[in-house]
Amino acid sequence: MAVIVAQPVRRKAKLWDKIYPYFSITVPFLVIALFTIYPVLYAVRISFYRYLLTKPKSHPFIGLDNFKEVITSYYFRTSLVNTALFTTAVVIGVTIFGLIVAMLLNSKVRTANALKILILLPWAIPSVVGGLMWKWILNSDFGILSGILYGLGIIHQYIPFLANPILAKLSMVIATIWKEGPLAAIFFLAGLQLIPSELYEAARIDGGGGWRIFRYVTLPLLQPIMLIVVVYETITAVLVFDLIYVLTGGGPGDSTSMISWFAYAEIFKNLNLGHGVALAIIIALITLVLIMVYLRVIKSEEVGS
Amino acid sequence: MNEKIKRTLGLGIVNLLIILLIVFIAGPFLWIAVASMQGENELLKHPPNLIPQNPTSDNYRYVFTGEIPQSYEVKGQLRSRISQEARLIAPALKNSFVVAITVLVINLILGIPAAYTFARINFRGKKLGYNFMLGSRLMPAMAVAIPYYIIIQTLKLLDSYLSLILIYSALTLPFTIWFLTLYVTNIPREMEDAARVDGCTPFQTLYNIVIPMMAPGLVAASAFAFMTSYNEFLFARLLTQSIKTQTGPVIIASIAGNPDASYSLISVCVTLGLIPPLILAITMRKWLTEGLSASITFR
Repeated sequence: MAVIVAQPVRRKAKLWDKIYPYFSITVPFLVIALFTIYPVLYAVRISFYRYLLTKPKSHPFIGLDNFKEVITSYYFRTSLVNTALFTTAVVIGVTIFGLIVAMLLNSKVRTANALKILILLPWAIPSVVGGLMWKWILNSDFGILSGILYGLGIIHQYIPFLANPILAKLSMVIATIWKEGPLAAIFFLAGLQLIPSELYEAARIDGGGGWRIFRYVTLPLLQPIMLIVVVYETITAVLVFDLIYVLTGGGPGDSTSMISWFAYAEIFKNLNLGHGVALAIIIALITLVLIMVYLRVIKSEEVGS
Repeated sequence: MNEKIKRTLGLGIVNLLIILLIVFIAGPFLWIAVASMQGENELLKHPPNLIPQNPTSDNYRYVFTGEIPQSYEVKGQLRSRISQEARLIAPALKNSFVVAITVLVINLILGIPAAYTFARINFRGKKLGYNFMLGSRLMPAMAVAIPYYIIIQTLKLLDSYLSLILIYSALTLPFTIWFLTLYVTNIPREMEDAARVDGCTPFQTLYNIVIPMMAPGLVAASAFAFMTSYNEFLFARLLTQSIKTQTGPVIIASIAGNPDASYSLISVCVTLGLIPPLILAITMRKWLTEGLSASITFR
């Protein structure tokens, strides 16, 4: 009896089982698609037209001229060099910072617990706000960093950190390490906790000292995570924008003007949409190439091991 | 003996390093909070006081009630040094909150079923969908900023909560779905199979069996979605036009860009804006750390 009654219910359930996967992903995919596929196509289209916001009526097709004009401009070279320098410094700085913090957090020292509570804070806040906090700390009239150095008698007049091209670049890097380092630290800590303690003991019995154990046991085992950190931080650094907006505004001169800042300035200051979007597409291609290079490295590592 | 000295010395260096790091990490937060409790003149002193001599709540009172602090009436700073904009921070933070909470709820409602589908069910087009979702996160914000403006303008949604909610949902859903998919994949499957044998639909299995088991992942995913929305700047700057919708970061950046703004009032705005993410980061620390660790070590 029961079997006969169950029959139609089961058929209905079967159809539902088939539709359900699509049903469950349709709405999120529509939202994501609306804000990816259409905007990207639109951006690509704009990049082939002369698109000045001061001349809203005429948008002649100009082929690749936007790309040519942008690439041959003085600012492109400057911002590319600035971005490359900044990215290299940030990736190295964040990786070393993250490694040191992770090793300290992983140690059994009691003060490490306090650091554990505080470490996520810079990561959790808006980067605009983080940048602003550093701007006040580094200010040349009332910045607390100069204040402390002055109070200690190390300097005799306040240092204009953000008005000097080299110090401004350095300030950008420090503020980024402060903001991004915590995430790298948490990632490395996760990796350290996966390393079985027997490995360390074995290395110690074999007579390895602290540095040798780090070099030949810890570091190789952390390599997969290090690659992820490097990829992630490269993308973050290449795309840096919020921090420039509040901390330096690209200055002094154009010493901290990175490529995404250049794109922003073309769109919102020079009102040349075509140029700005062409730049943004170049940025997208650069990140894509970097990611592919990294993926290739990861793959060859996996094959090698 | 020698060994002991070496160990004590090593411990001393480790502790010193940790204390330096604590100062580096926490110092900026402490200073902005201290600055918000001082008068303008005290902040401009060379060198300023690290511990406020006359801590005052006047700056906060001005931001909330509009009552002008006494310290501003000396030296004719009254006109130049007060920024009316600082008073916008309370409504701006309310806007941030409404938007971020809505995005969080949307992420849970849409994200959980989608993640469960990707983790457990095989269907045609699964791989394509998954890769599209992950790839969407590689798009640089600057490239799509203007197209976003045009979409939002066409939908007649400029200066509305809905515009930010839609965009932040599109930005956070790929991460939420990916993260929760990893989480579900790492939950043993036996209980669900038992439920399916007993005649539960995928939907029922999900809500009665899986969701309770993935609670820690859900907490982490919610916190990530909230923070991303609360912290976003570029699109908020572009798509909001009045205090009806302007979010915390937009107002804070705008006050800070005003050369006439008072430093202690800016400090008040920054301190107030920091409170929600800091509370979240401290109370949810365990889940956030676990979630971040899971996102990098799960396979």
